Amino acid sequence: MPEMVFVALIVGLKQTYCKNTMVKIKKNIAISDSGFVFDPGSGDSYSLNPSGLEIVQMIKLGKDFSAILEAVTEKYEVDSGSFERYYYDFIATLAQLHLTEPDGKD
Amino acid sequence: MTKLAFERPIIQRINAGLPSKYGMSHRLEPLSHIDGTPIKDLIGEFGSPLFVLSESTIRKTYKEAHRAFSSRYPNVQFAWSYKTNYLNAVCNVFHQEGAWAEVVSGFEYDKAIANGVPGELILFNGPDKSTEDLQKAIRNNSLIHLDHFDELYEIIHLSKEMTERPKVAIRVNMDTGIYPKWDRFGFNYENGEAWDALNRIMANKNLDLMGLHTHIGTYMMSVDAYRIAAGKLADLAIKLERKHGHVLKYIDMGGGFASKNTLRGAYYPGTDTAPSFDDFAEAITSVLMSSDIKPDHLPMLILETGRAMIDDAGYLVGTVIANKRLADGRRATILDAGVNLLFTAFWYEHDVRPVQPVSDQTEDTTLYGPLCMNIDVIRGNVMFPLLKKGDQYVIKRVGAYNNTQWMQFITLRPNVVMLDSKGNPHLIRKREVLETINSQEVMPEHLKQFKL
Repeated sequence: MPEMVFVALIVGLKQTYCKNTMVKIKKNIAISDSGFVFDPGSGDSYSLNPSGLEIVQMIKLGKDFSAILEAVTEKYEVDSGSFERYYYDFIATLAQLHLTEPDGKD
Repeated sequence: MTKLAFERPIIQRINAGLPSKYGMSHRLEPLSHIDGTPIKDLIGEFGSPLFVLSESTIRKTYKEAHRAFSSRYPNVQFAWSYKTNYLNAVCNVFHQEGAWAEVVSGFEYDKAIANGVPGELILFNGPDKSTEDLQKAIRNNSLIHLDHFDELYEIIHLSKEMTERPKVAIRVNMDTGIYPKWDRFGFNYENGEAWDALNRIMANKNLDLMGLHTHIGTYMMSVDAYRIAAGKLADLAIKLERKHGHVLKYIDMGGGFASKNTLRGAYYPGTDTAPSFDDFAEAITSVLMSSDIKPDHLPMLILETGRAMIDDAGYLVGTVIANKRLADGRRATILDAGVNLLFTAFWYEHDVRPVQPVSDQTEDTTLYGPLCMNIDVIRGNVMFPLLKKGDQYVIKRVGAYNNTQWMQFITLRPNVVMLDSKGNPHLIRKREVLETINSQEVMPEHLKQFKL
């Protein structure tokens, strides 16, 4: 019984951590398999490069930074330090274009 | 299993419907080699940033320009414009090709002499020639291009003291239908000042009037201006022969031919708009050949073009320091060469390329230099591939004016190498070190010590 409480606590902590570091793409944003992005709110459309599309798809699946980092560094020739820089720069750009939910509303 | 190459993630707004004069998106091809030599190896051996000059390109361009004029006119002579690039190795490539020297200061004059150019093959231009400079030029039988009456009177005065006869020409400024009109150098044609100066020279028995010189502007896109200028100089030559029976040895049309660089704000790229050497040659020689100058009295045609001769031969290569995002979301890429090295970034939209193939994706980017100065912008708003820290870049067409107008400011000036005809690099100017700068400074005794 105490073990179950401990596991629940750990899961809860992990969820809290994930929630704090997770980005959410706005629900109404349409993203095609070729990287075409349409924002019906503003009428603007965008294009993602292949790595941008891959990351956005992982974000949509609910993956957090560490999961994305693991998936990317396993597949591509990039070190975690560099990827972290590109990732947060990319996320900042998505936020600037109003494609992500504002902080605290995910 | 080998991993795939990673490309920085980006997202770009699609501006559908906006008119684009280029139609398709612009892709910047990487430039990995200069004259067959890998840029990566050059940076590895000589450091970053690095100026690279191509000897073969200089020679090829010189031959092209010479052919354009000599195939249309019987007596053509080029003179290398020292101020455009007076690195000695560059000057000597031009001298080996047959160019005389064109200098605009005592310093440049001494440089030409030190390079071994015979004094009588040096054209001495410019408004600032000291008495010592003039004495030296007279002694060496150099061709002195008079800029103003004060200089003429000084030469007349010196001619009485010296045994050698000064060999002079006058610089003529004129309306060639272009704006801005360059009227600050030499004697004006339209108001009769040039004709007046010629008459005074002819009246003086101690001076040898050798020729006429003009330099109508810089980065000239119009060959018609040269046609007008050549016509006006030909008129003066005809009047001189008619009135004084004096036959000029040469007409010097100066320089100012546009290179293929693109001026800031220009609608079309310079590669499409700059007239060719053949265009300039046709305009100038057709006027001289069809003028009333007698065929056996046709003067030597001298050309001092600098920019169009050397721009293509120069490259500035270097390394990306960092990337950041500006307040409006645009990307900023910081290069290790700034406007202190690339003075021409103030005039041109330089062609900047990645060295390694990095990505087909481009992003609206501003390329900054490394200086702690807001004006240190190499290119503003260019669609540029996604280079990352440590990636290398190359800036094309930097051969003119940068190695003479660069500044020792905040950072030290880097190595300059020249690639010979086989692509082998030769160091032609060593990078500056702290001692280079400090050796020129003198510390007063009372300032030598301090306690903090």
